[in-house]
Amino acid sequence: MSDIKAQTQPDSSSHENPQLVTPSLWQLMIAFLKIGVTSFGGASRPMMHRESVEANKWLSDRDFIAGFALAQVLPGANPVNLALYVGLRARGVPGAAIAVLGMVLPAFCVILLMGYAYRELIVYPATHFVLAGVAGAGVAATIATGVKMATKLDRNWMTLIIALAVFFAVGVLHISMTPVVIIAIPASLAAAWFTDKDLRHG
Amino acid sequence: MDDNRLLGLILVFAPLSILSFGGGQAIIADMQHQTVDVWGWLSANQFSDLFAISRAAPGPSTLIAALIGYQIAGFAGSIIATLAIYIPSSIVVYYATSWWQNHPDSRLKRSFERGLGPVAIGLLFAGALAIIESGPISWLMMINLAICTAILYFTKFNPYKLVGSVALVFLALNMIGL
Repeated sequence: MSDIKAQTQPDSSSHENPQLVTPSLWQLMIAFLKIGVTSFGGASRPMMHRESVEANKWLSDRDFIAGFALAQVLPGANPVNLALYVGLRARGVPGAAIAVLGMVLPAFCVILLMGYAYRELIVYPATHFVLAGVAGAGVAATIATGVKMATKLDRNWMTLIIALAVFFAVGVLHISMTPVVIIAIPASLAAAWFTDKDLRHG
Repeated sequence: MDDNRLLGLILVFAPLSILSFGGGQAIIADMQHQTVDVWGWLSANQFSDLFAISRAAPGPSTLIAALIGYQIAGFAGSIIATLAIYIPSSIVVYYATSWWQNHPDSRLKRSFERGLGPVAIGLLFAGALAIIESGPISWLMMINLAICTAILYFTKFNPYKLVGSVALVFLALNMIGL
């Protein structure tokens, strides 16, 4: 089935699809500012899907899902990466820059205001006390995410050893992250490569 | 002085950008190490405060870079730090997008999807430890951490509402003199 499709449609990527619409840079900017403002609670992915796939048809559903997977694997904040991907597919490099700008600008303004408020309020001892509590909630979010992610990992010794070694080196020994990651990532990729179960497509 | 700080911000955040697998949480430990121990821009307490603010703030977790930049070099610092944290990773995303589309299902791609997980999780917990160590360590803080972790792990309670609730509880505790 997929072979036939591949033969009849050698390039099935979205820009060949006549139903898709190319936005102006201005439209992109407005859409991503909207996403940036309305996704303050954290739900940026469904908003981006609605704007770029459902409402405006800038890219296909399949492309969006591929972009989502890509945004998670690559370095950088996932929502920002996804915005970059959508902008890139819709309008190339300028589109990517505009989408990221729209996505980040509202939150950037808010965080600057909070930074300013912090400078003014730090003279009161209560500020640090309250923020220490909030930091605890933030760490809790990190731990909860980490545990949820860990349950989805492959269950083998190599996975456990790499995760523990990275934690120990960076967290306990305070070794700089760069050399640790330069060793750990190739090792982990190699482990995943050699334990790849789906060898038919290799 | 200020120019050195701006340059320093680039030197700290641009490499971290490339290494921020899984987003901002993966690079918290090194960010703390660099800004507190290596460059001495912030005290451990200040870093813990800025982390708290970034978690209470909207937007991606990487925006903590803007907050740190603002704290140590003002508005220019916030702009420079933000550019340094987004541009390098964005260049990686740009080149990876075209490669990814030309290799719809390869073994290398699957290896990436599976192989980055353990590294990201090791870094995540290292970041959690770094924040715990830089804040005040007391029974109250440990109980707070345990309760918040349980709520976020076992329920679907909104993290922003949790942050708000914790802030109110701590404000109240402060008023009654704890």
